[in-house]
Amino acid sequence: MYKLRVSVEKINGFCDLPMKVGDYFEVEGSAIIVPKGSKICLWALQSMMPFFPAKQRAKDDSNDWIPMTSRFVCPDPNGGVIFKIEKVDPKTKKIVDDGNSNADKFLRIMVDAEKCTGCRSCELACSFGHERMFSPEFSRIKVYSDEETGEDTINVCRQCGNAPCVEVCPVDALSKNELGAIILNEEKCVKCGLCAKACPFDAISFHFDKKVPLICDLCGGDPECVSICPTNAITFDMLKEKL
Amino acid sequence: MCFNLSNQRNNLRYAERKIVIGGEKMNGYAGKILYIDLENEKFEIVQLENPLIFGYIGGRGFNMYKLFHETPRFVDPLSDANNLYIAVGPLDGTSFPGAARVNFSGKSPQTGILGDSNAGGAFGPELKYAGFDQVVLKGKANRLVYLFIHDKTVEIKNADHLKGLDVLKTQNLIKHEIGDKRVQIAAIGPSAENGVMFSGIFCTGVRAAARTGMGLLMASKNVKAIAIRGRNPVTVANPDKFHDLMQDMNKRIKAHVEYEPRLRMGTTKLVSALNQYGALSTKHFQFGRFESVDKISGETLADTKKIKSRGCYSCTLPCSRIYQTNENVRGEGPEFEGLAGFTSRVGNDDLDFALEAMNLCNRLGLDVITATEAISFLMELNQRGMITPTQVDGLDLSWGNKETIIKILEKISTREGVGDVLADGVRKAAEKLGVGTELVMDVKGLDIFQADPRGIKGYALGLAVASRGGDHLRSEPSFEFSGDSEESLRRYGTTKAAFRLEYEGKGKLVKDYEERSALADSLDACKNTVVNMEIINWKDTAEILRATTGLNFEAEEIRKSCERIVNLERMYLVSLGVSRKDDQLPKRFLSEPMPDGAGDTSGHIVELDKMLNEYYEARGWNLNGIPTTEKLKELDLL
Repeated sequence: MYKLRVSVEKINGFCDLPMKVGDYFEVEGSAIIVPKGSKICLWALQSMMPFFPAKQRAKDDSNDWIPMTSRFVCPDPNGGVIFKIEKVDPKTKKIVDDGNSNADKFLRIMVDAEKCTGCRSCELACSFGHERMFSPEFSRIKVYSDEETGEDTINVCRQCGNAPCVEVCPVDALSKNELGAIILNEEKCVKCGLCAKACPFDAISFHFDKKVPLICDLCGGDPECVSICPTNAITFDMLKEKL
Repeated sequence: MCFNLSNQRNNLRYAERKIVIGGEKMNGYAGKILYIDLENEKFEIVQLENPLIFGYIGGRGFNMYKLFHETPRFVDPLSDANNLYIAVGPLDGTSFPGAARVNFSGKSPQTGILGDSNAGGAFGPELKYAGFDQVVLKGKANRLVYLFIHDKTVEIKNADHLKGLDVLKTQNLIKHEIGDKRVQIAAIGPSAENGVMFSGIFCTGVRAAARTGMGLLMASKNVKAIAIRGRNPVTVANPDKFHDLMQDMNKRIKAHVEYEPRLRMGTTKLVSALNQYGALSTKHFQFGRFESVDKISGETLADTKKIKSRGCYSCTLPCSRIYQTNENVRGEGPEFEGLAGFTSRVGNDDLDFALEAMNLCNRLGLDVITATEAISFLMELNQRGMITPTQVDGLDLSWGNKETIIKILEKISTREGVGDVLADGVRKAAEKLGVGTELVMDVKGLDIFQADPRGIKGYALGLAVASRGGDHLRSEPSFEFSGDSEESLRRYGTTKAAFRLEYEGKGKLVKDYEERSALADSLDACKNTVVNMEIINWKDTAEILRATTGLNFEAEEIRKSCERIVNLERMYLVSLGVSRKDDQLPKRFLSEPMPDGAGDTSGHIVELDKMLNEYYEARGWNLNGIPTTEKLKELDLL
């Protein structure tokens, strides 16, 4: 995924904010980063925003929140109107990109901490499924409980579209398989830890012995943590049909 | 969605530390026993030997063996020589559902006999991951300390700053100090520090090992808390087989008729069930039914206060809950004992208040059964005009008085006024007050639970003979609710053992269930599934233990080990002078028929003697309740 740099190139008229030539901001992943002391006009930003995701993406990724750079949804929650933008060759008048590439349905691990009982059966199932031993240290999914408030947090790979861990890996040891799961090639891994730093969910921990990252591989499509969860706090599902 | 970012960093830090797994690594068991000499701040690690494994399985079995053989029999329970034994079973740390318990044992300061209590949560498994099956605390630290046991290392840390803090604050502060939210902690509250006889040890929040005063034993060693963090994996000998067995077991749990009610209410389902039977402890066992039961039942709790289910580590039938009161106070619990204790037993019909009182009782680190016995005992004395206001600091002791209930808890914890009298236990309080000794609802110095023995004869017998005093968890003969005549005939030679108001067969029933309970406590698994739901039998257990450990466990040998544990405990009691004369129940249950209005329990007393005779015979003990030499030889105890 590209990082975008948006700068004021020239001002032909009058800006009363004022924006000045050379002012800029950057778009990194889903974050807009404005340099300290600088600013960005709300109205200008509004007009540019829809284009950023499309401009960022090197390729479509079905697990991305915007899996196809050719479609937009009307923000009216009662509308749900989906607009498709197709590219038409001006000479042949034929559609050269129908926006349906890579548009398969996909599932991902979804968690609902409101249902989590804190039993950590998922950790045991994950540890045993991958290592044939029981240790929360081996688990790719991690549950943290606050005994006083009863709040639990479940931390696990969400199969990000355009996953930062895959992109940051300097030796291409991480890749995505057809399920959208991040797969580690242990042979290639140099144990640098950059993937864990890049993970926006802080969902990557390390094998205490081998030092390689522990990342959910979706158990080949039937995740053990999902099967064992007694209250369906972990599901392998879609929030809703996307686009 | 909120993610806690700090936790993973901790994992990174720990990942850097090399794990040393000893050469003698076992399957299922960690294979190591840790002795901590608190006085000299030294520790020693001893290899776990096969005779202990086959003879006593784990958990409670290991602790009872050590209590019998390593603690001087006539030691003053509060002296340095009374060791605190902490043990887990072969299944802790695996995915066996609910094998998450841990036993704390020693000579009881509360009863002067056998002390043993276990708790759920996640402390037990973490102890296994730290590399130990058992930890023995010896001697006394020369200042208030907490222990941090991690990966075969023990740190003895200053705990001055934790002095007087409640159990939750203590745990939170230690977690913060160690900088790891996954540390598991067992802590005592201010009650134990102040010398309250019935104070417990609280794990993973408010999971209490509360009975028999093990908290006070820990306090007497100047240990405020034990923190554990471990990274040693638990291995099983035959992973494929183990996996299949667990899958099968989880299927059986889900298909069980009790699955749905237990998922919804856990043990609190007993409030309305026992009320229906006419056997709910009401106003200190004066009645079998509580008129306001619908306001405080497990059903009402689930429908109006429950936010979500809460489970022990590895449990696939999470039966506890997170509640939220109208004042938006949140917490975990309560179990049946806490719910009935702060409602029917003390005559309170305000569910929110019961939760508030339970929360306080837990935070102070008190045993809820004895605490509610103390309150309801005083209230009955007051009702009968047997006590003067000056004896109770002027408290208004009318049934269900909220302010009084809270004040008594606080006074007990700080040993202030009447609280100082109650803090030594209800029997001793009655002696000091000079009234109501016949109204103390205890057996062998341990106060009984929230069900009326007159309506549940098997439980009545179980309470009378339990090795740690008036305790239902030593036997839990829930089969007497089943009504399954056929199975009763097959197991106990009479159709009647399946009915709660019958006497015949109860001796055999209690013997059988004492062994099932000893199994649950020694595997350190949950009694709800293992005993009440009978998810596994002896044969299944053997199969599971073989797959787990690779050792040659046989069904009959396991049953015999459980029988051995019960008999060893009995011999411990016998050597302290216990016999038939002590296997008794409070006078009310033996002589006052249950009043009208308690359904078919009305009119019932407990005819204990005939059940005792059948029980002793089934046990191979003489009619005075002493194990025969033949029985002891059969169990390799002589």
